[in-house]
Amino acid sequence: MSTRSTLSISLRALRRNRLQTVLTITGMTIGVAAVLTMIAIGSGAETAIEDQIRAAGMNLIVVTAGNYKVKSTEDFGGGAVEPSAALRRNDEPVVRAAIWVPPTQTKVRVAFHPEDDPMEKHNHPTAKQRLGDSEAGLGSAATLTAADAEAIRGLDGVQYVAEGLHQNVHVKAGDKRWFTRLHGTDERLPLIRRAWTFGSGRFFSAREQSRAEQVAVLGAVAAQRVFGDANAVGREVALWNQPFRIVGVVSTTSWMVAPAAGDDQFDAVYIPFSTVHRLLNLSKLNDITITAASTGDVSRVMGEVTKLLRARHNIGEDKPDDFTVTTQARQALAKGGMRPDVARAVVGNVGGLEKVTLEQLGKTLDRATRTMTALLAGIAAVSLLVGGIGIMNVMLLSVTERTREIGIRRAVGARARDVRSQFVIEAVALSLAGGIAGVIVGLLAARALSQYLRWSTTISPSAVLLSVGVAAAVGIFFGWYPAKQAARLDPIQSLRYE
Amino acid sequence: MITGDTALIAAHDITKTYAMEGAPVHALRGVTLDIRRGEFVAVVGPSGSGKSTFMHILGCLDRPTSGRYLLDGRDVSDLSDDELSAIRNRQIGFVFQGFNLLARTSAVENVELPLLYAHDRPVSPAERRRRAMAALAAVGLQDRAEHHPNQLSGGQQQRVAIARALLNDPAMLFADEPTGNLDSRTSVEVMDIFQRLKDERGITIVLITHEPQVAEYGSRIIRFKDGRVVSDHPNTSRRAAATELEAVALGPSEDV
Repeated sequence: MSTRSTLSISLRALRRNRLQTVLTITGMTIGVAAVLTMIAIGSGAETAIEDQIRAAGMNLIVVTAGNYKVKSTEDFGGGAVEPSAALRRNDEPVVRAAIWVPPTQTKVRVAFHPEDDPMEKHNHPTAKQRLGDSEAGLGSAATLTAADAEAIRGLDGVQYVAEGLHQNVHVKAGDKRWFTRLHGTDERLPLIRRAWTFGSGRFFSAREQSRAEQVAVLGAVAAQRVFGDANAVGREVALWNQPFRIVGVVSTTSWMVAPAAGDDQFDAVYIPFSTVHRLLNLSKLNDITITAASTGDVSRVMGEVTKLLRARHNIGEDKPDDFTVTTQARQALAKGGMRPDVARAVVGNVGGLEKVTLEQLGKTLDRATRTMTALLAGIAAVSLLVGGIGIMNVMLLSVTERTREIGIRRAVGARARDVRSQFVIEAVALSLAGGIAGVIVGLLAARALSQYLRWSTTISPSAVLLSVGVAAAVGIFFGWYPAKQAARLDPIQSLRYE
Repeated sequence: MITGDTALIAAHDITKTYAMEGAPVHALRGVTLDIRRGEFVAVVGPSGSGKSTFMHILGCLDRPTSGRYLLDGRDVSDLSDDELSAIRNRQIGFVFQGFNLLARTSAVENVELPLLYAHDRPVSPAERRRRAMAALAAVGLQDRAEHHPNQLSGGQQQRVAIARALLNDPAMLFADEPTGNLDSRTSVEVMDIFQRLKDERGITIVLITHEPQVAEYGSRIIRFKDGRVVSDHPNTSRRAAATELEAVALGPSEDV
């Protein structure tokens, strides 16, 4: 029999048994949608947890202009060392003392900043600006440039690089004014701040960056202070008495860095650093934020960045860096409750500090991911089982009810294989329709959930394939198998079936 | 086509045993008989006598436990399931007591069914529809073509089933209690159709019934009891359904 005529027999049968068709498709839809939604919620949770941990700065490296670093010839360069190297240097204790004590009388380490010492000047593109920078200190020293950032982008193992220029500004809109942090940065910053979400609008674009346009993204807190609950996107604010168009409002789903007044991320305004350079006639950067592609690679990337910048800034072997490479872990330590001089001493002397912190964070991340993956697999397995059993029941019910139909068809001359292919085609058609409907319903349900529960959901193509694949396999098998059994009987047995 | 003496159906010592819990049930205990082309055989017997089982075996809906069954000279036990399906499709028409029409399917689609499975000579959908409509017209139901079985009376449903059975021009028609669910007048109408099929088209008919008066329409009457043939003789006093219908049309009574 031709495929077309089997197809028309099958479709006619589906039309005839409208109630069964609708029930089967509904069952299939619910099965697929349930699996998909569960996987979406689960993997959304997984992503969320990874994001939370990344938001805490797992793979973050920050290069800050200027250097408050203990002056030492043997330990420069922000010095995270690879664990293997650290192990080889086992004559050196990892932590020499909680409070720094000079290891030898001859090497005196003191907190040092190149701006403090006019004699430390060297050939550098921003040297001219440096002398005029009365506030020069950590971060405000004019030793980093956009070209430095561009060069770092070329390094191996570097994922994203964002320039940073920070000022305190008044954001003005009408009679409202809010004193907040301004970050001149790169359009790639949202890729680094992974837990960011845009409640409305977007981050500024590469085009706006390269043309130094006057566009701004408000942090959620700043937007609230300036515009209240009204939508800020499309409105105008004044910075340095220059008009800026708001293109987006940024917030976060992370519970580790909840937006609050006075924080650095959401009580803030972001504009392209090129715009800051143009308006304020600057060429320096305060800092460069880098993410390493792999968290295990952070120490090596730090070393590479240090080497590169020292070469670019023509710093001699015996001279200290004019920048500081650090990790968020180290910054957190410095910002902690310790007296600054103590913290400085600890940071300066514990070589493997960020390594230790990173490894702990890495282990936490691994554990969290493993737990979530297991949970997800469990949820998916249970959903697939439940969905599969539902589909199986509907298919079995339908085929059993139709055993008499099989008998009639056999009596008028249908071969066993005609009956089998009819039922397989019916099952495939039902599975396709149910699968597609299930994917649509699942996507909508996931989207609705993520909107109303404020929970990010992820539906991967593999989740779609898995749920539709299993549902279709179950549907087709339980459509085909009973039909095959019924077709194998002598026709009279199917005809007599009650 | 008609080859005189050669038996179209030759059953030799057919037995059928159902393996039930406890004692096995012997539905047929050795039936031997020949049916020639063009015969209208009425098989009568009480229920449980094995007559329906016998018809199912003759119609290739069921297989005998033992014995030889030659259909048109071919041993059915040698045939594959596909070949049996082709025989049911091309050479045999069935009419059942319970009509066995597909539910929620129009009369004309029910009639078309055998053509859907005519694999050796495929028929276009338009041709299928044309032949099904012609077959419906032959049983007087052309204006009921789009009705579903539940919108038709018992007699109309049985006529749809007959139209379906005849669509592929079969050589044999097997009818299992075709009048069992019909009133007496409709029964006579169905018998009229059968007799005309035998007389005008030479179709071999095997009619299973438990009513001796219905068996009187056949040209040969075979009696079954307890899985055996107890009598087999030509019917010399054949009832003529056409004459009876004319008589009824004249008189007021429904009773025949």
